[in-house]
Amino acid sequence: MGPYDASIPTGSGSCSSSSSSSCARKASDVDGLLAGAGYKVKSSDLLQVAKRLERLETFMVNTPSEISQQLASDTVHYNPTDLASWVDSLLSEFNHNYNQPHSFSSSVSDLSDFTADLHFSSVPDYWIEKNYTSPPHHPLTAVAAAATEEDSGIRLVHLLMTCAESVQRGDVSLAGSLIDYMQTLLSQVNRSSGIGKVAGYFIDALSRRLFYPQAVCAGSAFENEIWYHHFYEACPYLKFAHFTANQAILEAFDGHDCLHVIDFNLMYGLQWPALIQALALRPGGPPFLRITGIGPASPDGHDSLRGIGLKLAELARSVNVRFAFRGVAASRLDHVKPWMLKVGPAEVVAVNSIMQLHRLLSSEESLDTVLAWIRSLKPRIVTVVEQEANHNEPEFLDRFTESLYYYSTMFDSLEACTIQPEKTVAEMYIQREICNIVSCEGLARVERHEPLAKWKARLGAAGFWPLHLGSNAFKQANMLLTLFSAEGYCVEEKEGCLTIGWHSRPLIAASAWQAAPDPPPDPVPTPAPHVVVSS
Amino acid sequence: MEEEREKKVKFSINDHQDILVEILKRVDGRSLGVAACVCRQWRSLSRHDSLWENICFRHVSPPPYDVRHVVVALGGYRRLYMVCLRPLLTRLSCRLSRLDSVADQEEERVRSNRVWTRDEVQLSLSLFSIDYYERLVLGASVGDEAFTSTSSSSTSSSSSLMFLYKAVNV
Repeated sequence: MGPYDASIPTGSGSCSSSSSSSCARKASDVDGLLAGAGYKVKSSDLLQVAKRLERLETFMVNTPSEISQQLASDTVHYNPTDLASWVDSLLSEFNHNYNQPHSFSSSVSDLSDFTADLHFSSVPDYWIEKNYTSPPHHPLTAVAAAATEEDSGIRLVHLLMTCAESVQRGDVSLAGSLIDYMQTLLSQVNRSSGIGKVAGYFIDALSRRLFYPQAVCAGSAFENEIWYHHFYEACPYLKFAHFTANQAILEAFDGHDCLHVIDFNLMYGLQWPALIQALALRPGGPPFLRITGIGPASPDGHDSLRGIGLKLAELARSVNVRFAFRGVAASRLDHVKPWMLKVGPAEVVAVNSIMQLHRLLSSEESLDTVLAWIRSLKPRIVTVVEQEANHNEPEFLDRFTESLYYYSTMFDSLEACTIQPEKTVAEMYIQREICNIVSCEGLARVERHEPLAKWKARLGAAGFWPLHLGSNAFKQANMLLTLFSAEGYCVEEKEGCLTIGWHSRPLIAASAWQAAPDPPPDPVPTPAPHVVVSS
Repeated sequence: MEEEREKKVKFSINDHQDILVEILKRVDGRSLGVAACVCRQWRSLSRHDSLWENICFRHVSPPPYDVRHVVVALGGYRRLYMVCLRPLLTRLSCRLSRLDSVADQEEERVRSNRVWTRDEVQLSLSLFSIDYYERLVLGASVGDEAFTSTSSSSTSSSSSLMFLYKAVNV
């Protein structure tokens, strides 16, 4: 269940409180906002119309799907500009019409298209101007769920949007009181699942933004690794990323004997055992593999990068793969210089970036620098996996809306996970991202996700050509998904890139690139940073 | 009745280990697991990795090329079967039978005679290597639970193969 799957306007209560100002503003007889949508409703009648729509909504929620379907598709609009009497006629008509079986999922889409038009001035102007014409296809799993619970959920979403809009405007007092109101509303909603859980995190993030803007949204490196590991186990996104990237790297390395993989975020190195094992079984014998892992420096002095390298070496030794490891400690990718990676002359290079490139977008220069030095290494393949989301818009409200949608979908998919404590800790991983997107700004805001299309443009402009991920990667990804019990995950292939999503909403996108053969452009000079290098 | 026959012929399979091994080479995974519970001798026999090698890759077409040293290094065929192949097989054939909606008998047939593809073998080997690695890094994995076939409390550290054991219908 996401926040937008039932975009039925809530009742008269919210109309009178949050839009009384807008009602008062429209001095003319006919409500201006609805007139824009083609409905003539007198401002004085708004309350009546709201009540009737609420009745209609209750009716639709409580009737079987076949009837709702009929309502959505077979209705003839006699004078739709007269909203009040039209709703009345609908209600009376369907009190004596029955039995038109239709498929449930199409009824959901019709319903949402139908009700999208009815969305009216209980929320500020921008919402209507946004034109949300195609809400996601979430199956309404429990249509008979308590109408009040759904009501509260929908109200929460509306309030979140209003609050975000007032934050953007700078209206701190309104935002603050909205947050208080939402917190009381949260107590009426089931906080352990669905919209309650997501709303809780977003409300926390909003209040952080208002009252503790300097607070850091990240855990320590140690905590990050643990959250990452639990997220790895609870849902298939990271596994999909690793397996797809490995498959692409394997295919690119075919026939070469001296391999060098550069991992932009080593963590526990969970991606590499599968690659090492696949290389061990390569016909013709295993090649020599070197892995360079980049990661944050450990604060307490013990070299965690080297520790992981030792474990990987042990695994490689067991399966007879000649192996070497180097760790490069850097807090930011643009602090890394190519000479630190010590790429040998005969080595074939693969660069692997799992959700790291977006962290550089706080300054365009950083990304250009990094892409330039990647290119200077002449890699055989660059695997890029990124979140498929638009969380880097300049306007706060756009980011907020997008991330609400995105993370609701992700939490929805996490519901299917039953293993504990993986599920709870995985939520903390996601919550950290939400917090960063909503409450941080400037350099601190590192979760600057951009959709695949934008990454394609950026990488193309930086001198990379796309490599198609083959059908093997697609088959493997599908097989991996069959192992997960939840059936909502889907893998799609589009122009050589793979995406994994939940119920047709893509969430993570994987692509592969190679350096175009032109001479690389001069790298942009960067200020000398403080860097610790260990080997 | 069979006992009487045995007494007459004075034949005990336990005296003929090679025959026993030949028989056990041909049973399926579940039967081999059951055989391990019969007596001490059968238990030690059924722990021979070579028996499990047959079970793991008997139905693979074409047979995987020289995986033995890798499988042995990463924990052996018995562990590979318990930790990776069996859940994978079960899950995949569940999917298959659910899709086809066939009678129970045919379902059983599908489950036992399924021919594996190289991709499935590859995937299970990848998962197996991750299991091995997690034991290295974290000291244990939940694969341990399936491997020792006990229901003792799982270790505090977790494995990426957890999801194979906690099937849930959404």
